[in-house]
Amino acid sequence: MKRLLLIALSTLLLSLSLSVQAVSSTQDSIKNSVEDSKGTFSIDYVPKRIVVLELSFVDALAAVGVSPVGIADDKDPERILKEIRNEIGEWTSVGTRSQPSLETISALKPDLIIADISRHEGVYADLQKIAPTLILPSRRANYEENLHATAIIGKAIGKDKEMQARLKLHAQRMADFAKQLPEGKEVQFGVARDDALFLHTADSYAGGVIRALGLKNANTGRSDDAYRQTSLEQFLAVNPDYFIVGNYVTPSIVDKWKNEPLWSVLKAAKNHHIYSVNPNTWSRCRGIISAETMGQDLIKVFKANK
Amino acid sequence: MATRSLPILLLALLGLLVANLMFGAVSIPFKSIFEGFQVGNANYFTVHEYRFPRAILAMLVGAMMALAGALVQGVIRNPLASPDVLGVSHGAGLAAVFYMTFFPDADIRWLPAVALIGSLIAALTLWWLCGSHSSTIKLAITGVALAALYASCIDFLMLVKPLEINNALLWLTGSLWGRGWNQLSMLLPWLLLIPFALWLAKPLNLIHLGDDSAISLGIKANKLRLASLAIAVGLTASCVAICGPIGFLGLVAPHLTRKLVGGRHQILLPSTMLVGAILLLLADLVARTIDPPIELPAGIMTAIIGAPYFLWLLLRTK
Repeated sequence: MKRLLLIALSTLLLSLSLSVQAVSSTQDSIKNSVEDSKGTFSIDYVPKRIVVLELSFVDALAAVGVSPVGIADDKDPERILKEIRNEIGEWTSVGTRSQPSLETISALKPDLIIADISRHEGVYADLQKIAPTLILPSRRANYEENLHATAIIGKAIGKDKEMQARLKLHAQRMADFAKQLPEGKEVQFGVARDDALFLHTADSYAGGVIRALGLKNANTGRSDDAYRQTSLEQFLAVNPDYFIVGNYVTPSIVDKWKNEPLWSVLKAAKNHHIYSVNPNTWSRCRGIISAETMGQDLIKVFKANK
Repeated sequence: MATRSLPILLLALLGLLVANLMFGAVSIPFKSIFEGFQVGNANYFTVHEYRFPRAILAMLVGAMMALAGALVQGVIRNPLASPDVLGVSHGAGLAAVFYMTFFPDADIRWLPAVALIGSLIAALTLWWLCGSHSSTIKLAITGVALAALYASCIDFLMLVKPLEINNALLWLTGSLWGRGWNQLSMLLPWLLLIPFALWLAKPLNLIHLGDDSAISLGIKANKLRLASLAIAVGLTASCVAICGPIGFLGLVAPHLTRKLVGGRHQILLPSTMLVGAILLLLADLVARTIDPPIELPAGIMTAIIGAPYFLWLLLRTK
């Protein structure tokens, strides 16, 4: 009896899942086609209700004045830059970036979802059942990849011209910032938690922005990772000229290290070249607006120094 | 006792299933649930594509984990035994974390297969070390030692590669998030183990009298033990591969059931499956509704319920 029930149940499940796959393949008169991390993504309308599952995508939308209806903001609106919050207005939180609530997304009735290949590949098929899903690199992406993804988003939402213009303006702004910054100075950014310091290496997003601003990345040794956890002694070996720190908590491990004798040997500590910035802007947001904010932060740093 | 408990358990299961379909980040009234099964309905995705397969999966995984726990407790004859002492879930965890940290760009779809292989290797290692003729105590202690070894390897990997720690931690707590029809179809073949497990109920009763009595009653104790543990490994490995190691379920559910229906395995095994299904459905319901739209892993919920119960059990067992 039990086995009969099981067989009946499994055939039911199979037929149900088959019927679903048949539905989602009707599209004609394609307007916009882009290459995303899973191949060609096509959309034949201008999306009006967009849900984004990473913060960098919010930045990209805000850059061309588009407001998403839902954001995976970890239920903390403060994670989105104030400038961007002012631009996009109200939105609905769809939960954490790592495990966004699919039912909340579905309830928002989106006509486009923008997901991160690193975090959301496992639910890509489910997201596609809710709405067309554009999947792009965000979490692991460096500066250049981020600019590329931003351009793709512009095209997919039917704002190709606006986005290209905005990206040009961004390049112009970054070049202007670079002019105001001393060339070739060695700058290292890191985020400090309660118990660990993570250096953002040359391969990271922040590392790329630092280079784009005409500054130099410190040599962090082995360059196999975008982020490297570093002890005080290892940090002394890196010994950057300028150290920019984003504290996720205060007091962070860097505050604790300040009392250690080793700390005073650091070049940046000796010359008072240590500055704290908003870790959200520098580490989590990753987009053209945050890159410009980072440029302004650095100009403040170097002006204060003169 | 048993005849009174079973209908209540079935009712509770049904009630929870309906509750799982109704509640979540968005509440759906009871009447609309049935409409949600029709293609094109506004709630079609939420009900048919999301909550229903997830609830079925929770029931099956809960039932299978609980059954595995009852089998292990049955043959090891120790109330603190559970599939965890076989090191199977830690083996799966180690394989999964290894895969996630060293191949971060690899396809996530292979993760269940990798975890499954990890757990089966862990089981084979245990068998290789203990053979089929060693005492149950030796088996349990070897299993615990191996599990500790795997756990420390997992910690080592996560400390060396801190970037991937988020994904790994999420997987290691055990979650039903993002699991649907696909995962359900992967689990289906393993359901074949259930009838075999139920078939072992009678000899399991006899082995409870002690090996000598069981052998004199015509039970091949070693073969029975091997068969039960192999089935328990299969059940646990398949569940862990799909949902990650959902803690304490295999320990708590059989105990709870023994309180309700007694120790006769003919009743205990089916009832413990019901209790396991109820516990995981409840855990996932709470995990989804406690702070929407944040989704907590169901494994955290089962551990929150399971850990104090485990302590209480330890304190009572002198």
